[in-house]
Amino acid sequence: MVLPPVAVVAVFIGFPVGAAIAYTLGKIGGPNSTVALLAQRQHVAHHGVTLGAYREVLGNTHVRGDLWATIWVTLVTVACVVLLSWSIALYLRLSNTWISRVVSALSVIPLFIPVVIASYAILTFYAATGFIKTLAYHVGWQSFPTLGYTLTAVVIGEIWVNVPFGVLMMSSGLNSVPNALIEAARDSGASLPRTVRSVLLPMNVIPTVIVATFTGIYVLGSFTVPYLTGPTAPNLMGVSMQQFFGSFNQPQQAEVMAMIVFVLAAGIGTIYVWANVRATKRASSTT
Amino acid sequence: MKARLLAIAVAVLVFVPTALSATHAGGHAKKASAGTTIVVYASGDVNVQGLWQNNIIPGFEKANKGIYVKFIFSEHGTDDGTTLARIGAAVKGRHWPGIDLVDGGLVTTLAAAGLNQPVGKATAPNLKKINPDLLVPVKGAAIPYRGSSVVLAYNSDKVKSPPKSLSALLDWIRANPGKFTYNSPNSGGSGYSFAETVVDSLLTPSILKQMDQGYNPAIQSNWKQGLDLLHGLNKYMYGNGVYPNGNAAVLQLLGQGQIWVAPVWSDQSLTALKTGQLGPNIKLTQISNPSFTGGAAYLAVPKTAKHKKVLYKFVNYILSPPAQQMIVDVMAGFPAIDIKYMGAAIKQKFQDVSANTLRPTYQTKMGNDFKAAWQQSVP
Repeated sequence: MVLPPVAVVAVFIGFPVGAAIAYTLGKIGGPNSTVALLAQRQHVAHHGVTLGAYREVLGNTHVRGDLWATIWVTLVTVACVVLLSWSIALYLRLSNTWISRVVSALSVIPLFIPVVIASYAILTFYAATGFIKTLAYHVGWQSFPTLGYTLTAVVIGEIWVNVPFGVLMMSSGLNSVPNALIEAARDSGASLPRTVRSVLLPMNVIPTVIVATFTGIYVLGSFTVPYLTGPTAPNLMGVSMQQFFGSFNQPQQAEVMAMIVFVLAAGIGTIYVWANVRATKRASSTT
Repeated sequence: MKARLLAIAVAVLVFVPTALSATHAGGHAKKASAGTTIVVYASGDVNVQGLWQNNIIPGFEKANKGIYVKFIFSEHGTDDGTTLARIGAAVKGRHWPGIDLVDGGLVTTLAAAGLNQPVGKATAPNLKKINPDLLVPVKGAAIPYRGSSVVLAYNSDKVKSPPKSLSALLDWIRANPGKFTYNSPNSGGSGYSFAETVVDSLLTPSILKQMDQGYNPAIQSNWKQGLDLLHGLNKYMYGNGVYPNGNAAVLQLLGQGQIWVAPVWSDQSLTALKTGQLGPNIKLTQISNPSFTGGAAYLAVPKTAKHKKVLYKFVNYILSPPAQQMIVDVMAGFPAIDIKYMGAAIKQKFQDVSANTLRPTYQTKMGNDFKAAWQQSVP
């Protein structure tokens, strides 16, 4: 029964990944012969494997700069998204006014706007002639920085793109906490912050981990937002990968960079799996 | 009542275009049965589509009764990958790929892979009118049929006398910090052309010729001086060294008045001026010593194309002065044939924009390495 899905995964994911790994190690035969025919500056292993491509990419100071930029943009974005979506979801959970309903509608709107359009909008909004800078100028803050084409703009863009998913996940998590639990805590004299800390927070760990890990993996491999709003260098790995693959015609180096991103993403994935396993164990021990 | 109206509206919207396209296709089918039909595949933006569909093809069919041209268009080249694979497989298997003439980015790839009929075997007299240098980068296996060049765009409200030479432009950049930029060379041809032009100005003619004609990593060390010069310009660029991604992003900065001078594609900027993306205060000019580079668009004849004799008649028509005139009129492109064969009006038109031949760029692989070298050393 499980064979067809397994076969699909093996053929459409496993095989290309295997071929790509072999190519990064200098194997240019078989499925890699077409890409190797057209590529430039390849490291070829005639016997065994070569780590030449890895050595070249990791030894390149600009790629290392891109890697650090990617890591800190990812960390900052994840922190901001978790914080923002937690606060919005908490507000929606505890308040039922028309304002909260408007906020909940607004917070998911970015989900329906294509990333390309959003990126251009962010670029225009924070540009030297954009709204924010003009506003700052009129209130007397003339040295306000131009954020367009900086990593800050990339962080803003990534947050913008990822917050709706965070809000949806967090809200559904918080909504599944029964009202009775919150009321019981309040009745025994717990303050609102205490209720949040001791009841809502522990019961919403899994959605929080999901939001953090998925946002992290998304930002690591993102392309459109950093490509359109980011600086020329250093920029995120997604952009440099595209440059090496397309513009410089160096697919081997691009695949090495993909491997590096893959290892980082796998690290994040491990946290997600660990949290899930822990939650399942807990659930089975309490029942 | 409302529902019925809506239903009728939907029916009209769906059926009328279908019916129209059906009659259109029917017209083609009838034609096809009457004489020789050649199949053309083109990819690009709508200006390329307009050039073929409304100008070159009707002009040729009118002059040659009994020959029909079937036109396949792929907007923005989304079908280029599959077409490339299709032609590759057909030529290797020695059968007809279903396409006789190709116009698009895939042509140079076809030429490099040896899938095209060499131009030397072509029977089109007008081929003699093209600049033979344009055949070198495609190994003589693709036919240049139009060109576009990079020009200097400037905001005439702010810049009264634009720089006329490369050294004057570099002086202007240093004198007006933050008012110039170019897109990163890996993201578009206009920024690439500026970077290459600066580097070329410091190369000897023989080294430059080698770079234009072949791939030789050993001579790439000659780029160092020019790249250092570009690196030194960082602090005079828009935003202290911002190089936006893509030709269009530079046009946007220019249109918003954030920068005053920038290298742009001639045809793209003329279109932007027409549509109002750039205001009437934006003017175009060309610099000298050296001029910006240009690029040719090529046509490919796959080795296994049908009706080659008739096909080259069509190619000959495309390279004739009247068809080349259409390229100038319709898409603000450059003629591929030597300007001396064109009318006096054209000669005058291009006098202040460009020299009469396009200055070639580096060979493709050399260009790829140049983009990588720029990315490593300039920003």
